[in-house]
Amino acid sequence: MSNIEQPVYLEEKLEEIYDSGRLDYRSKSFPTWCPGCGYFSIVEGMTTAMNNLSIDPDETVVVSGIGCASRFPFFVNTYGFHTLHGRALPVATGIKVANEKLTVIAVGGDGDAFAIGGAHIPHAARRNVDMTYILFDNGIYGLTKGQTSPTSVLGFKTSTSPFENHDAPLNPLMMLLSYGAAWVGQAYAGHPHHLAKMIEQALAHRGFSYLHVLSPCVTFDKTTKTYKNLGMSVRELPEGHDTGDIMAAMAQARITDTLALGCYFKELRPTLGDGLSDITRRAQGKEKDNLRKHDKPKKSRTNSATKVPRRRAAV
Amino acid sequence: MARAQKKSTDIQIAICGSAGDGTIAAGDILKRAMAKAGYKVIAFDVYPPEIRGFGKCISRVRISSEQTYSLKPLSDVLISLDDSHAIPHVVEVRDFGAVIYEDTPVSMVPEGAHISGHLLLTHLPYGVPFRELSEQVTSSARSRNIAAVGYLAGLYGMPRDVFYGVISDKFSAKPASLTQINIQAFDAAFEVGRDTFRLDEGHLNPPPSNARNGDLMMMSGNGAIVRGCMDAGLDAFFGYPITPATTIMERLASELPVKGKTMLQTEDEISAISATIGAGYAGVRAATATSGPGFALMSEMMGLGAMAEVPAVIFVSQRGGPSTGMPTQTEQSDLNIAVFGSAGDSQRVVLAPTNVEGCYKCAGKAFEIAERYQTPVIVLLDLYLSNRYEAVELPAKNPFKENCSKPVGKLKKDQTYHRFEITKDFISPRAIPGDKGYRHVVTGLEHDEKGRPRDQTHQKMSQKRHEKLLSVPRLPNINMSKRFGDKGKVDVAIIGWGSTFGEILEAMIVARTEGIRCAAMKVVLLSPLPLEPINALLNDSREVLVPELNYEGQFANMLTGATGRSVTRLNRVPGTPMHVQDILDEIRRLAGKKPGKAKGRKRLAAE
Repeated sequence: MSNIEQPVYLEEKLEEIYDSGRLDYRSKSFPTWCPGCGYFSIVEGMTTAMNNLSIDPDETVVVSGIGCASRFPFFVNTYGFHTLHGRALPVATGIKVANEKLTVIAVGGDGDAFAIGGAHIPHAARRNVDMTYILFDNGIYGLTKGQTSPTSVLGFKTSTSPFENHDAPLNPLMMLLSYGAAWVGQAYAGHPHHLAKMIEQALAHRGFSYLHVLSPCVTFDKTTKTYKNLGMSVRELPEGHDTGDIMAAMAQARITDTLALGCYFKELRPTLGDGLSDITRRAQGKEKDNLRKHDKPKKSRTNSATKVPRRRAAV
Repeated sequence: MARAQKKSTDIQIAICGSAGDGTIAAGDILKRAMAKAGYKVIAFDVYPPEIRGFGKCISRVRISSEQTYSLKPLSDVLISLDDSHAIPHVVEVRDFGAVIYEDTPVSMVPEGAHISGHLLLTHLPYGVPFRELSEQVTSSARSRNIAAVGYLAGLYGMPRDVFYGVISDKFSAKPASLTQINIQAFDAAFEVGRDTFRLDEGHLNPPPSNARNGDLMMMSGNGAIVRGCMDAGLDAFFGYPITPATTIMERLASELPVKGKTMLQTEDEISAISATIGAGYAGVRAATATSGPGFALMSEMMGLGAMAEVPAVIFVSQRGGPSTGMPTQTEQSDLNIAVFGSAGDSQRVVLAPTNVEGCYKCAGKAFEIAERYQTPVIVLLDLYLSNRYEAVELPAKNPFKENCSKPVGKLKKDQTYHRFEITKDFISPRAIPGDKGYRHVVTGLEHDEKGRPRDQTHQKMSQKRHEKLLSVPRLPNINMSKRFGDKGKVDVAIIGWGSTFGEILEAMIVARTEGIRCAAMKVVLLSPLPLEPINALLNDSREVLVPELNYEGQFANMLTGATGRSVTRLNRVPGTPMHVQDILDEIRRLAGKKPGKAKGRKRLAAE
């Protein structure tokens, strides 16, 4: 089942990859994932996206928690911080607060994010920390050799659920939409080109962007989220989907028997950095002058909100 | 305690009332005014964990011309703003001390409910109509607490002018008429006090002529921490509210943005320490503050900080534990978790100041140490130290260094940067995100010199993380330990840490006047221990006493473990500061003297 129309020659393809400059974003470490793991395409997607956006790797930090997905920082050639289980987001927040200029990318798996780290997501989202959170969802704990996770399907048999999983899975997209995340999208590791585009959009968005990446665990899940099953259940968002309409986004996120790929929702609103500079202005008494000048408190507030974004949105 | 001698002053005033009476405010005005007048002041407030609901508030202020180190167990004056709360504290007034109380209650008082029926024969009663005084001048009873302070000031001949300034400052945010009203109430009561026939012999001598008026600032332990942070150039603070550390966060919330810096209230303590570590990794000076329960949550991140070699400063103001424990009572029981609390061999630096000035120094130094040694530094405070006020003089010139990080050298061609390079002093040159060409990954996994996960390097890297800290006790410009008292051989050595050291010093001074050869040592650096001076003192002494406010003797355990010397423990967990008398009795016992008849009355269980 291939839709390749013309033959691809390895040498030409390699030359193309070398010429693109994408490999500069790959580290020399060899990924520790199992052959066939969906996460390889996330590394490819990330390097492609960063290359396309010309992001300076010296000014980029990839922060992760613990798990298969969290080994990610070792495989890209940027600054990286492999932290504790569930704590990627608060560490990333600290980094962003310390140096606004850095491009901060947090990565993690479904257990890392929604089990142990669940308390941190709403707060990173509501503060609108200007960073990208890429979540690798394979519905299983891989690094501890196959236990149920918060996104495991009902009836899933694992070493910790020998009599089938009875805990209903979470709906991460619904959660993120209701937390107020400023950019919410979904991609699938089996569609690497689309994945790369989605990562590019998420990186380019100014504010907290959340990309949910569906991926199979080829070693410990032979029955539920396999390439075959995921490949059959993914679909495109309906034509004319309005990314500014949160209710439309939620309606799509509610449908879980088929999984829509693409950008569900996006909005531009003041980020944590904007808020902090506003606090500084007020503390230094500059806000008062502003008020006197315009005599309209509303105006000064919108001024701070629409600071020129550092990166231009790619879409 | 020695009675106030001629020309010198040593008066301790306790103001006791119900929450809402303005007890703490009255104490605040008194201590600030006296510090302004040039006296040495130590003050400590006790208040209930509830905001409303008639809890007991006590404000104790010790005013002296010589430097003192703790509060006295017996006060010279007790002012009662609420008799039901003040009656149990009558026994804490010394013989021939004064009790000042409301003598015209607003309604019928049931038998035994008025304080005058509870005074001892040796107490001197001063009945004053605070309420009436306040109502006459201000047509409201709300300035009752100010009237009480005014009466006291008149009675003891305190300088009037300084109070005006302090009262104006206190109400500066309120309408000007309020300041006027309170000054009127103060004045009216001052005159009544001045014209009162004095019964007691205690009086306020003018402050020593060498006292520098105005140079001394009234400052709490937490206030000094904030000053230290600001002077050390703190860039980002992350915190979650918890008694008694919250005031650090509150003050920084208004001070940091003025300098263009950041204070962020996080969703929990885990997030607070995580963001602190994150900011430290990104190369700025970052800190968080918490108390025992929050610190317990932070301990996993402390391990990451040690493993990934990231600087961070954590202020821990201890309270009664375990668990939620006693949120508004003091204790020194988080030493174990501060020194050992994390998975694995997680070496870190722990500093514990013993007084308010020490809070300032330790706060600033903590940033230097964290940056230099690339590791989390804990500054251990406790509620008694966080909330107690002392008149301190801070250095005019900022004493803290700006950047203590070990810089990276220029890389040769084809040379890769090794984040965890093992050097002579075991400290690796540190690059931060944004530095061109020094890209690396730090991790909580055991790693090699490049930072790549590797188990085989564990022995070598454990040694690196351990040995790099061994030079901390020899750092200049800060006393990691200090010996006081007799030099050479002594009968009793008292070793202490944290806020309890004030009481230890007072007890030692009294013991020496009784002819006991003794020395006291404060240990500021609790990890790694400054063993050289500690061993020197242990070798000099016949008996060693370790008083501390925890049940198990956590510091005594550490000392015994590190030196092999068995020590005598004095452990108390009343939730209040250690009593000088208890330490003194123990010194006398160890010195082979019969416990002498305590001057003043034996303390009764009042709190």
